[in-house]
Amino acid sequence: MKARQVEGLDPAAPLRPNAARLVRVRLDELRSFAPIALEPPASKTQHEMRIAAKRLRYVLEIVGPCFGPEADAARDAAKRLQSVLGEIHDCDAMLPRAWGIESLRERLRARREQLFGEFSELWREQADGGTWVELERSLDRHTFSLQSGESGGDKEIE
Amino acid sequence: MARAREVPGFDCEEPFAAAAARVVEVRAAEVFAHSEGVLDLEEIERLHDMRVATRRLRAALEVFDSCFPHKRHRKALKRVKELADALGERRDCDVAIEFLSGLEAETPRDDRAGLAALVERLRAEQREANEALAPYVKPKRLKKLRRRLRKLVKAAKR
Repeated sequence: MKARQVEGLDPAAPLRPNAARLVRVRLDELRSFAPIALEPPASKTQHEMRIAAKRLRYVLEIVGPCFGPEADAARDAAKRLQSVLGEIHDCDAMLPRAWGIESLRERLRARREQLFGEFSELWREQADGGTWVELERSLDRHTFSLQSGESGGDKEIE
Repeated sequence: MARAREVPGFDCEEPFAAAAARVVEVRAAEVFAHSEGVLDLEEIERLHDMRVATRRLRAALEVFDSCFPHKRHRKALKRVKELADALGERRDCDVAIEFLSGLEAETPRDDRAGLAALVERLRAEQREANEALAPYVKPKRLKKLRRRLRKLVKAAKR
């Protein structure tokens, strides 16, 4: 799956506004997969969502310090998503190889079902808990203060 | 898994390209620091550490792609992806073998032979993946990659 292009990056401009653009695109990308990925059999979309979670996590690992604790929380959330979706993918990949080993196939199917439940709950928890909205607010706050001539950092918009 | 090294002097207000140079320099050094003994099938965590370091470097190259000369960046990223893929192929086998080997005791008698055969097939794939990886981790090849990345970092600093 190719990553979405991020428009308007400027190597000569400060890191923070460039980083905000990157994070916004990766976050949108992640969210765009959720409606389909939350259907149990949608293994292809779940796999794509895992890759999107991975991309968001990696960009936050690099530029997270520019956006405060909300970015750390979002990075951890993306990591948890990536991990559970990765385990679902492992079950999907192993299942055809386990042909004829009924106990293993049974175990993999049960494990997948359990992991899918964990994934749905995790996504709901993260959305209800405001992980992604808080990240967006933090991006706005940090880039707004720069645009208005302040020194960046943690100033709130009033 | 090894923690990512701090990037000295990381500053959200400095130009995007300067941050790119700092981050890629540190992430590249991490890859080479973990390149010892990755072909050792008895110590699979070594490969895991190099794989993690390689994926961090790859992520940094992708995040900062607009900061580097296009052609030079494309070639470096291609080499890093090839290394990451070769490490990933081996790692997938390592993980699957570890998972299935742990199931042996609780597998019903009727399925044990099938499970043992599957593990055996995976061990053969692991050896093949190791052979395919070997050229990528030869000191000469890594030295060349290091030089390529050094030039890339230098170009971003200009």
